[in-house]
Amino acid sequence: MFPGEIHALLGENGAGKSTLVSIAAGRLVADSGEILRGGSQASYRNARDARHAGLVLVPQHDLLIGAASVADNLAFLDPAAPFFESAAARRARVGRLAQAFGLELGDADARADALPVGTRQRIEIAGALAGDPDVLILDEPTAVLSPDETAALFASLRKRADAGAAVVLITHRLAEVFAGADRLTLLARGRSVKTCRVSETTPQEIGGLLLTNTEGEKNFLEGVWGARALDSRADTPGGRSQTHSSEHAAQSAATQPLPSLVLTGFAPDEARAVRAERISLSLLPGEILVLLAIDGNGADTIARAIAGLERFSGRVEVGGVPLPLSGDPLAFRAAGGAFVPADRREEGLVAALSLSENLALPNPPGSVFLDRPAMRAHAEERLRAFGVRYASPAALAGSLSGGNQQKTVLARELAHRPGVLVAVHPTRGLDLASAAAVRSRILDACRSGTAALAVTADPDEAQLFGAPLRVVYRGRLSAALEPTTPPAALGRLMAGLEG
Amino acid sequence: MSGFLAVTLLLAAPLLLAAAGELLLERAGSIQIGLEGTMLIGAFTAFAAARSGVGPHSALLAAAFAGLLAGAAFAVFAVAGRADPILVGTAWNLVAAGGTAFSYRLLAGATGSVLEVRTLPPLAFGLPAAVLAAFFVPVVVDVFLARTRPGLALVAAGENPLALAATGGSVVAVRTAASVAAGALGALGGALLVLTVSPTFVEGVTAGRGFLALALVVFARWKPLRLVPGALLVAGATALQYRLQAGGSRIPYAVFLALPGLLALFALAAARGRGGSPKALGTPAP
Amino acid sequence: MSRESAARRFAVAAAALSAAAAALVGLALLAGASPLDAVRALAEGAAGSPAALGETLARATALVLTAIGASLAFRVGVLNIGLEGQFLAGAVAAAAVGPLLAGSPLAARAGLLAAAALAGALWVMPAAYLEARRGVPEVLSTILLNLVAAAGVSGLVRGALQDPGGDYPQSRALPDAVRLAPLAAGGRVTAAILIALALALFATLLLEWTPFGLKLRATGLAPAAARAIGLPRARLRLLAFAASGALAGLAGGLEVLAVTGRLYDPFTAGVGYTGIAAALLGGSHPLAAAVSAVLFAALGTGSSAMQRDTGVPGALATIVPGVLVLAVLAARARLARKAA
Repeated sequence: MFPGEIHALLGENGAGKSTLVSIAAGRLVADSGEILRGGSQASYRNARDARHAGLVLVPQHDLLIGAASVADNLAFLDPAAPFFESAAARRARVGRLAQAFGLELGDADARADALPVGTRQRIEIAGALAGDPDVLILDEPTAVLSPDETAALFASLRKRADAGAAVVLITHRLAEVFAGADRLTLLARGRSVKTCRVSETTPQEIGGLLLTNTEGEKNFLEGVWGARALDSRADTPGGRSQTHSSEHAAQSAATQPLPSLVLTGFAPDEARAVRAERISLSLLPGEILVLLAIDGNGADTIARAIAGLERFSGRVEVGGVPLPLSGDPLAFRAAGGAFVPADRREEGLVAALSLSENLALPNPPGSVFLDRPAMRAHAEERLRAFGVRYASPAALAGSLSGGNQQKTVLARELAHRPGVLVAVHPTRGLDLASAAAVRSRILDACRSGTAALAVTADPDEAQLFGAPLRVVYRGRLSAALEPTTPPAALGRLMAGLEG
Repeated sequence: MSGFLAVTLLLAAPLLLAAAGELLLERAGSIQIGLEGTMLIGAFTAFAAARSGVGPHSALLAAAFAGLLAGAAFAVFAVAGRADPILVGTAWNLVAAGGTAFSYRLLAGATGSVLEVRTLPPLAFGLPAAVLAAFFVPVVVDVFLARTRPGLALVAAGENPLALAATGGSVVAVRTAASVAAGALGALGGALLVLTVSPTFVEGVTAGRGFLALALVVFARWKPLRLVPGALLVAGATALQYRLQAGGSRIPYAVFLALPGLLALFALAAARGRGGSPKALGTPAP
Repeated sequence: MSRESAARRFAVAAAALSAAAAALVGLALLAGASPLDAVRALAEGAAGSPAALGETLARATALVLTAIGASLAFRVGVLNIGLEGQFLAGAVAAAAVGPLLAGSPLAARAGLLAAAALAGALWVMPAAYLEARRGVPEVLSTILLNLVAAAGVSGLVRGALQDPGGDYPQSRALPDAVRLAPLAAGGRVTAAILIALALALFATLLLEWTPFGLKLRATGLAPAAARAIGLPRARLRLLAFAASGALAGLAGGLEVLAVTGRLYDPFTAGVGYTGIAAALLGGSHPLAAAVSAVLFAALGTGSSAMQRDTGVPGALATIVPGVLVLAVLAARARLARKAA
C-alpha cells in the first residue's frame, strides 16, 4: 500500500480479507509473518496502539452509540478528543469534519439510532478521518449505501488520499473498484492471487479470477467441472438434473396446479435501507428458483421474510394461505413451509439437545410422555436417509460437523413433504461431497412436489441446481436467467456492472 | 415544615448515592441487583469503624473503601468472569446480608443492648456535609457521562461494547471501573444511614433501600439528574409517613411504601421501546 | 442452566463443595469455635432428632416450591427474580380468602391454594407483558414487583386484612379446621412438604419426559432456533412466567395454610431469593433444586442449634448458600470460556 492511493482488496467470503485487516489494525494477533510499515516492522498489540500509530479500521459492524447524539459519537470516535469538552465544542467538530471531508453528517444533536444507514456510515467514516490517519482501512463500507451515497463516499476518500493517506477498501463490488480505486489485490483462501493497477486490468479479467477462486474446498484443479461431476453422480439415474425442474414445471402446467408460493408487491421492511424494488413472483409445485447474490444485497432478508422471520409489506402466499406482515414462522410452517437458515448453529438446530430431540421438533411424538423409542427410530431413519454420519441418536447436535449438521437440518425440514422450501446458503462451508448431497436432497424433494427458493452467493452453486436464476443486486431482482448463463455474465450482474 | 424538609433531605441522600452508583454501572452495561447487600456492607463497615473509636468522617471513608473492594469483587465474578450479573447479584445479597449479620454478632456479642455510634456533625440546615454533598453526586455523574471522554467510553460499553473494543477501549476495564465506583457510592449510602439517620447497626438496617435505589434508576430512565426528583419524592413520602404514623394515622401507609416500585413500573410501561435502558445491559463483555 | 457433561458437572460440584467447606471452616474459626464442633452441632440441630427433622421439612416447603418455580423459569430462559413478590401475593390471597371459606376443610384448602397459585401467576403478568410487548428486561420489572408486593403486605396487615380482634399488624388466623394438621401428633411436618416434593417430581417429569417439556427446553436453550423451527416461543415463555409465579404463589399459600396460619409483616426473609439460589445450585433441574432447597432449610434450622451450642452466629446459614452459588457461577463461567 502506498500513500496517496486507494487500494481495493477483493475476494470471496472466507478469503481472509477481514482477518487480514483485523490483524493489521491490532484487533487480532497474527499466527506468523510480519507487517511492514514505512519499511519497518509494525505490529500493534491492540486497536489503541494502531490508532495512535495512525492506522484506523472502520469495521463492518456498527460503530456508533445509538442512544448518543451525532456530536457525541464523533467525539467518541475522534482519538484526539480532549478529556473534557463542552457541547458547543462537540457541535463544532461536526461542522468542521463535515466541511473538511465533504460529508453530509446531518443534525449534530440527532440521536444516532434515528438516522438512516447512509448517514450513520458517513459519521463512522468522518470519525475515522478525524484523527488524520495515515492508513485508513474500510471493511465493506458500501454494503448498505445507495449508489449516490457510494459516489459521495468515494469522493471523500479520494480527498483523503490526495492529502497523502493510504486508503484500503475491502469490497465485493467490482464496479466500485473500477470506478474509484487506484490499485487492487485479489485474495483467495488467505493468499494473494493478483496485485495490479486498476488501469492495467479489466473487470472481466478480475471477475473471471474471482469466480475460479471461490470459497470452500474448491481449488483451481477441481474447478467448476469437478463439482459438477460429483453432483450428477449423487443424482438420480439418468443424470438429467440440469433440466428436470423445467420439465416438471411444464408437465405440471398441463394439469394447471395452483402455485405453491406467490409474492405480490413484496418487500422486506429491512430492505428499505437499500431502496429495494417490490417483488412479484410465483413458484409452481416442484419448481426451483435460485437467488444469486453477493452478501449484503438483501437476498437473505427476502428469504427470511418469506419464512416469517422478518417483517415485510406486500403479500406472501404459501399454499394459497396469506402470511401475516409482522412475520410469523408458525403461520409459514402451518401453511406448509420449511426453512433452512444460513446460521445452522444458531437457528437451525438446538446444539445442546440430542439429534433425536432435534429431529422430533417442533412437534415431538407422544401423548403424555415423550415416545422416546419412536423418536429414536424416526431419527435413525431420517439420519440414514440423509447420509448423516453420527455416533448415536443421543449425541448432541452441536457435536456434529458442519456438513452433518446441515444434512440433519434438511432431514428435519423435509420430513413432512413441505409445499415450499426456503433455503439460505444451504451448502455454505460444506465440503464438495456434502454440498452435492445437500443439493441432491433438495432436488429430490422438488421432484416429489416441493417448490424451492434457494439463496446462494456462489455462481457455480447456483448453476448446479439446474433451475432458473435471478441475481439480486441491492435488493433488486434481475430477469429470470437460464442455468446455463456463463459465470462471467453472472459475475458482472452480481457486481452491478450490468443490469 | 423545615423539620419535614430536613428529614426528607436526610432520607434522600443515601438513596441518591446508591442510585447514582448503580446508574453508572448500568450505563456501562452491567447491573448489580445486590445493591442492597453493598449498602449493608457500607453500613456495617461504618458502624464497626466508628465503634473502634475513629471519628464519623473516618468511618465514612472506611465504608467507601469497603465499597471499592465490594465493587471489585462483584466485577471479578460478573465482569471479568462473565458470569450472569443477575445471578451473581442474587448470591451477593445473601452473602452480604449473612456476612454483616454474622460480623455484627461477633462484634456485639449476644447482648441485646443497642450499640450507638457518633453521628456526623451538622454543617448547615442541621444537615451534615456528606448529606448535602450527596445532592451534587448526580450532577457530577451527569457531567462525567455527557461531557468527558471516559464518560463516552462508559456509555459505549453499555450501548455498543463492540464499538468500544473496535476503537481500542477495554469493555472489561470500563465496566470494572464502573463497578468499583458503584460499590463505593452504594457503601457510602449505607454508611450514611448509620452515621445520620439512626446511629446504630441492626440486621437488615438498609430495609430494602438498595432495591428502592434500583427502582429509582429505572424511574429516572438511566438519566442521572432525574434521580434527584425521584429520590426526593420517595424520601418525602417516607418522611410524611413517619409524620402520619406519629400522628396516629395509618391509612395511606402502603401507598407510600409501594410508591417507588409503582412509579418505576409506570415509567417503564409509559416509555417507548426498552424504556431507555442501555442496549447491552446485562450482556457479557465481548 | 443447560445440559452439562458428567465431567463438567463434577468439576462444578467440586468447586461448590470446597467453597462451602472453606466458608464453614473459616466462619467457625472466625467465631472462635472448633469447626468440627460447629458442623456437628449444625448437623444435629438440622436432623439429629425427629423434632429437628420436622422443623427442617416444615421450613423447606416454601423453599422447595420457589426453587422449582425458579428452575422452570430459568430452563425456558425467563429470568424471574420476582419469586419473593409472587410468594407474598400467594400468601395475601390465602390470608384474604382463608377466613371466608366455608364448607368442608378439604374444599376450603383446595380453594385457598388455588387462589394463592392464581395470585402468584397474576402478580408476574405485568413483567411478562412488558417483556413481550416492550422488550423490558423481566429482571427489572420482577424486582420492582417484589417491592410493591412487600409494601402491599405491609399495608394490608395494618389495613384491610388486619385482625379486628387485636392490635398487632397481622391478619386473622385461619380456622383450625382449615389449617393443615401435622402428619404426626405433636410434630411439625404436614402434607405441605409432600405436595412440594410431588410438584418437584411432576416438574421434572414435565421438563424431561413430555413432548411439551422438550419444547420448553428447546426454547430456553436456543431462543433463535426455537423461533425459526416453528415453536410458539412467545406462548411458551408466557407459560413459564405463569407457572413459576403460580408455584411461588402456592408456596405463599402453603406457608399460611401449614406454617403460620396468618399473614404478618415482614412475612418473608428472602425465601424467593434463597429459592433462586437453590435452583442455581441444582442446575435448574427441579428435583436437584428441591434437594438443594431442603439442604438450605437444614442449614437454617441447624444454625440456630449451632449458635446456641458453639456461639457461631446463625447468619452462617445465609452466607453459605450465597457462597455456594457464587462458586458454581464462577466455575461454570470458567468452564464455558475454556470450551469456547
